[in-house]
Amino acid sequence: MQRNRLIPYTFLVPYLAIFLIFWAWPILYSVYLSFLDTRGFPWALEPGVNWGRIWSDPFFRQALRNTLILLAVQVPVMLLLATGLAVGLNSPLLKLKGFYRFAFFAPVVVGSVAYSAVFRLLFNTQNGAVNAALAGLGLPRVDWLNTPVAAFVLIVLTVTWRWTGYNAIIILAGLQNIPLELYEAAKIDGANPWQQFWGITLPLLRPILLFALVLSVIGTLQLFTEPFLITGGGPGNATLTLGVYLYQQGFRSFNFGYASAIGYAIALLAVLFSALQLRFFGQDPS
Amino acid sequence: MRRPLIASLFLLSSVAAPLAAAQNTDLSGEITVTAWDVAAEALQGVVAGFNEEYPNVQVTVENLGNQQVYDRGLAGCAAGGADLPDVYAVENNEAEVFWNRFPGCFTDLTTLGAGDLRAEFPDFKWTELSLGEQIFAIPWDSGPVVTFYRRDLYEQAGISPDDIETWDDFIAAGQTLDEATGAKMLWFDFTDDGVWRELANQNGCFYFDDAGEAITVNQPGCVSAMETMKKLYDSGVAEIVDWNGAIQAIKNNTLAGAVFGGWYVGTIQSSAPEQEGNWGVYPMPASEAGGVRAANLGGSALAIPASSDNPEAAMAFITYALASTQGQVGMLENFGLVPSYLPALDDPYVQEGVAYWGDQPIWQDILATLGEIPQARGTQYFQEARQIVTNTLSQYLTEGAYDSAQAAMDDAAQQIAGATGLPVAGQ
Repeated sequence: MQRNRLIPYTFLVPYLAIFLIFWAWPILYSVYLSFLDTRGFPWALEPGVNWGRIWSDPFFRQALRNTLILLAVQVPVMLLLATGLAVGLNSPLLKLKGFYRFAFFAPVVVGSVAYSAVFRLLFNTQNGAVNAALAGLGLPRVDWLNTPVAAFVLIVLTVTWRWTGYNAIIILAGLQNIPLELYEAAKIDGANPWQQFWGITLPLLRPILLFALVLSVIGTLQLFTEPFLITGGGPGNATLTLGVYLYQQGFRSFNFGYASAIGYAIALLAVLFSALQLRFFGQDPS
Repeated sequence: MRRPLIASLFLLSSVAAPLAAAQNTDLSGEITVTAWDVAAEALQGVVAGFNEEYPNVQVTVENLGNQQVYDRGLAGCAAGGADLPDVYAVENNEAEVFWNRFPGCFTDLTTLGAGDLRAEFPDFKWTELSLGEQIFAIPWDSGPVVTFYRRDLYEQAGISPDDIETWDDFIAAGQTLDEATGAKMLWFDFTDDGVWRELANQNGCFYFDDAGEAITVNQPGCVSAMETMKKLYDSGVAEIVDWNGAIQAIKNNTLAGAVFGGWYVGTIQSSAPEQEGNWGVYPMPASEAGGVRAANLGGSALAIPASSDNPEAAMAFITYALASTQGQVGMLENFGLVPSYLPALDDPYVQEGVAYWGDQPIWQDILATLGEIPQARGTQYFQEARQIVTNTLSQYLTEGAYDSAQAAMDDAAQQIAGATGLPVAGQ
């Protein structure tokens, strides 16, 4: 009897060991690290040094501002596109459904380093396909990688390209859970498709949209790969995100204490945003 | 300078080292050398000559990007020496992070006879490469700063470089040049603070004091450098472009010069071959009449990780490449890398006029300033300080975020103190 109870846990040991060593321990240890002065050797316990610096550090402020603007612009645009896409993919009129679903999901499968390299080429000022197309349309060429606003727009575009399809598939799953009888009843009552969308689809999608929103907000708060590989956080600090700044502090400056504090600041922001979203969008309005 | 020392491929022939040297067959084995861009190409060019002296040592040169070499070195040292090459190229300014943060990651080269080389290189090159009596890297190239200029455009505007002694003269001449030709005197942008570093170094000031123990970025020499930057920007004599934009501007005749390290020679020659004969160099302007007209920007060194299996062969390669006239002059001739090896300065090639530069003996003129360059120390916090001053520069010049250069530099000093934990000097 006793043995039978233990056996399942022995199967879990490999996973639990890896989880404890590579997840749980670093998460706890970095709390401690964030209270250490790690700017030189030896490290010394000095609780105020990192958390005090975070308040007055203009680079942190810039990274926070960039991340918040990205959050405010990119996430709503992406979810709007994803919802539209999901409704389209769910349409009974659409042929080759499997192919389209895969096609829109595919960007997530592509390695982020590979696609970042491709985007750098596409948006190259002199030889990029995007500028060639703009020039072909008689529009001015844009110096995507070297002007602050354009570089920021580029990051918004790449992140949207990568994650819209992923969110569309999540929302599509939600759409398929809506009982068809509701639409039939609405049709009998004379509701047009637009009214059906506002009256049935959107309210019943709310939980799944909330899920996609929370995931996207957390993902954007941690955004690192695209700004690091495509713009390097530049030009100037125009695309410096919290993730990139954390990397610079941790792995270029080896200031693990400050990097840990930045990491926890990101985590606290994520908790705060998630709580707000659940508070405002999580309750049933009825 | 973090920029790729862009290849001067114009003279790409193999480095000639025909001097009959005694062969050394005792050393054998394989060594790996890691460097970036033109630096790696230059070292590859030295291999043939090295193998004539040491036929049993097989050298493999890895060419990674500049940032990649640095990141890989840090990661390797953090991992206790894993996956490091036998010879590692490092920029002088960034070097100290390795000896300070990872003591024991690199071999003390005095154990391999580097102590004898001290007098062969200028003092300012050793500042960041040694710790007390220990030597962790051998100096390679350097970046003595000069003013590059277009002879024909200056002439057209009626300016003579002989009349330009101070930065005020330089700005006045620049305004004349702009009116007459529409061309600018120099270029910089806000992704790097290189020109500010030149000005600060010239004034004997830098981010940190020479002991690396206090922040000096708000001392008068550095503040005055910032004021000059503001004047250069406000007067409109500077073209604000990035590296590639500057090359375009040179080709379009809208940029008539630059104030940079000697390594910029190769960039000008290879990007604008059609302007042969129209270029020249003169010393960088001084802060005030009679002031110092020398500074350094950039320059690298070679080190041996302690994890190397064959440090003797690695040291033999470094000595051959850097502490010999044929090695250093070969790299100057073929790749435009400015030697810091003092005996190389007497080589006949250095005295020769160069056709592209209107037969001016530019190397002699550039290297003549080597002895006057004030010391400056990057310290282990170079990257942090550079990021902060670059940002301050852009805030002060373009955003008007500060009332005065002093206020800008005081704020930069406070930020550097936050990033490094070092005290601000005099506080």
